[in-house]
Amino acid sequence: MPDYGQITIGGGTLSATWFLGLAAILFTLGAIGVLVRRNPLIILICIELMLNAVNLTLITFARQLQDLDGQLFALMTMTVAAAEAVVGLAILVDISRVREVEDIDELNELKG
Amino acid sequence: MPLQAITLAILVLPAAGSVALGLGALRVPRRLVQVIGPGTVWVAFLCSLVLFVDQLTNNGRPHDFTYWTWLSSGSLQVPVDLYVDRLSVFMCLIVTGVGGLIVTYSNGYMEHETDGSYARFFCYMDLFITSMLLLVLAGNLVFLIVGWAAVGLSSYLLIGFFYWRWSAVVAARKAFVMNVIGDVGMVLGTFVLFATYHSVTYRGIFAALPKTDSPLLELAAFLLLVGAVAKSAQLPLHTWLPDAMEGPTPVSALIHAATMVTAGVYLVGRLHPIYDLAWVAHGAVALIGAVTALFAASIAIVQTDIKRVLAYSTMSQIGYMFLAVGVGAYAAGFFHLMAHAFFKALLFLGAGNVIHAMNDEQDMRRYGGLWGQMRGTSICFLVGSLSLAGIIPFVGFWSKEVVLGDAFSKPDPSGFPQAMWAIGFATAILTGFYTGRMWWMAFAGKPSPERPVQHPHEAQAVMLVPVVVLAVLSTVGGFVQINAGFHPGWKLIEDWLTPTFGPLPWQARDLEYFPTAATLLLAGVAFWPIADAFYRRRVWSTWSRRLPFLQRLLERKYYVDELYDLLFVRPMDAAAEAGDHLLEAPVIDAAPAGVGVTARSSAGVLSLAENGLFRTYALVMLGAALVGLLIVLAVRG
Amino acid sequence: MLAVAIFWVMAVLAVLGGLGVIVSRQPIRSILSLVVVMLALSVLFLLLSAQFVFAVQVIVYAGAVMVLFLFVVALLGPGRERRGGHLRFQWWLGWLVGLVFGGFIYSMVQGAHFRPPQHVDLSSFGTVQEIGMGIFTRFLYPFELTSVLLLVAAVGAIYLSRGGWLSGGRRAALSDEERAGREEEPHA
Repeated sequence: MPDYGQITIGGGTLSATWFLGLAAILFTLGAIGVLVRRNPLIILICIELMLNAVNLTLITFARQLQDLDGQLFALMTMTVAAAEAVVGLAILVDISRVREVEDIDELNELKG
Repeated sequence: MPLQAITLAILVLPAAGSVALGLGALRVPRRLVQVIGPGTVWVAFLCSLVLFVDQLTNNGRPHDFTYWTWLSSGSLQVPVDLYVDRLSVFMCLIVTGVGGLIVTYSNGYMEHETDGSYARFFCYMDLFITSMLLLVLAGNLVFLIVGWAAVGLSSYLLIGFFYWRWSAVVAARKAFVMNVIGDVGMVLGTFVLFATYHSVTYRGIFAALPKTDSPLLELAAFLLLVGAVAKSAQLPLHTWLPDAMEGPTPVSALIHAATMVTAGVYLVGRLHPIYDLAWVAHGAVALIGAVTALFAASIAIVQTDIKRVLAYSTMSQIGYMFLAVGVGAYAAGFFHLMAHAFFKALLFLGAGNVIHAMNDEQDMRRYGGLWGQMRGTSICFLVGSLSLAGIIPFVGFWSKEVVLGDAFSKPDPSGFPQAMWAIGFATAILTGFYTGRMWWMAFAGKPSPERPVQHPHEAQAVMLVPVVVLAVLSTVGGFVQINAGFHPGWKLIEDWLTPTFGPLPWQARDLEYFPTAATLLLAGVAFWPIADAFYRRRVWSTWSRRLPFLQRLLERKYYVDELYDLLFVRPMDAAAEAGDHLLEAPVIDAAPAGVGVTARSSAGVLSLAENGLFRTYALVMLGAALVGLLIVLAVRG
Repeated sequence: MLAVAIFWVMAVLAVLGGLGVIVSRQPIRSILSLVVVMLALSVLFLLLSAQFVFAVQVIVYAGAVMVLFLFVVALLGPGRERRGGHLRFQWWLGWLVGLVFGGFIYSMVQGAHFRPPQHVDLSSFGTVQEIGMGIFTRFLYPFELTSVLLLVAAVGAIYLSRGGWLSGGRRAALSDEERAGREEEPHA
């Protein structure tokens, strides 16, 4: 395993590589969820999971590279994620007024 | 120099008239059209008179007026130049004079047309006059060909004037296609001449000619002869002329009798230095002319349409002109050209009067007895007929006499000119016969029971006066050149054209003229009593019943049309058909259509990727990201 | 020591939460699993000297956005996912692609050449002051843009939740008679 540096905090030494590995696992789980699940709400949640994993990566590298821009960018990401979740949920609610949506595959009219 | 301007004016005025009438066809009132149409031609005639006086007084010194250089590319120098000498002035006078009479005549003949059509007719006529004048005035081969093609175009437009008639359109196309064959010959001949002598102007070429014959010169002469043969409707490119009678009668008079068809004769005359050297081609000219004369005269004796008789007669008389220039008697040929212009125009216009009066009926068998009812036209037509047959004292006698006499008396060990004379002799007899037949059938005897109009009226003034003028010219015109033993002879035409052609190389002894005079007397005999016997006393029909094969041969014009159809038209049609099937539809049409089909099918295939399912899209996106990562991995090592 | 222990606990919680998100049949359970993930991550941020981000993550992300999701679930009802449906094969394919993807990420991480900077000064790293300075100097433009984005999202959400004429919103989809009737009222 390559070394992404040590994190010394409160008397212990952590390896940054662990954080990145965790982020990778979470991102992969989120991706699998988007592909496999059919409830639109759950798909949105999985997207949020992916975004969180990316935030973790950003914060880790900010710490290792001593550059605060990583944290600032993570803040921006959070904001955008919030906005996107809001709009996505509003669309979902709007569609649900017309018909019961349990399977995103039913929403397939934009084709051809 | 005013002379330079006047020469240009001769060309420009009818052209301007044509353009004005063409652009303003629906807006110009009829009265104005009647003035512009003939008016421009008469003004051109006056300008030609000015040139005539100039050539008269300055001993025939030619002028070569260059206006500007049109094309200058290496050794190819094509100036816009007009060559004014005795020959071109001679032709100009005939074209504008006879042309003016005919265009004036058409003021009355075409009166039944609508305003737009009326203007269109005169637009085309003026276009023709301009083109013909360009042809005779051009100082170099390039502009000669321009004029040549332009008269072909005018001919096409005028033959197909009644464009709503299938027969007219087909005839116009036929004329144009055959003319184009001639144009090709002309152009190729010009190429050969330019390649050999590096000039396209007359002066340049004549100066560069060698002293003896050469194969290239013969080739050029033959190629140019192809053009002359096509334009003048000689064998074998003659089939368009009878069909050209579909056009209005003034058109037949002007283009297919008096002027355009004589362009071939003019060509040989203008390029006589070439033909004097290239004796094989020169002989071919005479042979073609003589054979055509006999051929056409034989067909004319069975024609029933009055215009067709005149058409074949034209073909035959031009054969005489070719014969003359072919043996070297240029002045004789042009004298006959002038005479023919007079009496053939007269005959056509007279026929036009009759056709007009008989509600467009052209079949002579339905005429008969017009002598009593259309006296003026009948007299003029008689004058024309006698002139055509070559009866003294009309102009036809004098001109044919010169032609045949010069041919007979030319000294040649091979006897070729004398053989030509013999053919001309036979033709003269036939000419007398069919002319008499024509006059007797149409004008004499009792009115036919099938006549469409019982009391035809004489033509109106505007149509009668030109006819009378031409009749007068046909009567007195001959006295300008009297060769026969009546006088040591004044030879005004010959003298006039000497600066161009030189004097006649051999001495035409008076003695030789007696055979020719005898010829023409025989022709006269054929005309009057024999025709009378055959037609009035109906001896003719037994002959046609006895020799049906001959009758049919002549009626079908020796099956030449059928032969050409078999040899050329059918293969071309088959080739075009094949091209359509094999090339047009599958390849040329398929190319743009194929693009469309390809676009549609590929779009069809691509649209399968849009199945409307979110998860498919997500999968594809992730898969693409995967591929991207793969590439990065591979690149990084 | 403490830090290591905290890390591992939080990491395990996060992974379990992630699994919970993708495996749960009911949406409400997915949401709650995600909340667990977020809180775990926030502690990890704290370990990484991102104090301000830790706070924002808890307050905004776990506190507001997730609550929004909960409200929507409350509005829409439980919604169990049925078996079957359209792309049957996608279940297998999705797992396959996802795992392959994970493998690739692993191999990407493998090949990195990383050299940490020499000087490490964490005294003021991740503090509110530093974040503030960064936002209003280097990140001013993105900051302003994201505020516009939030405005747009808010307006959009309001418009959508009012309903276009398809969903039977109040003012939009009147039938012709109704509209005529309404117009006539004031004149009468």
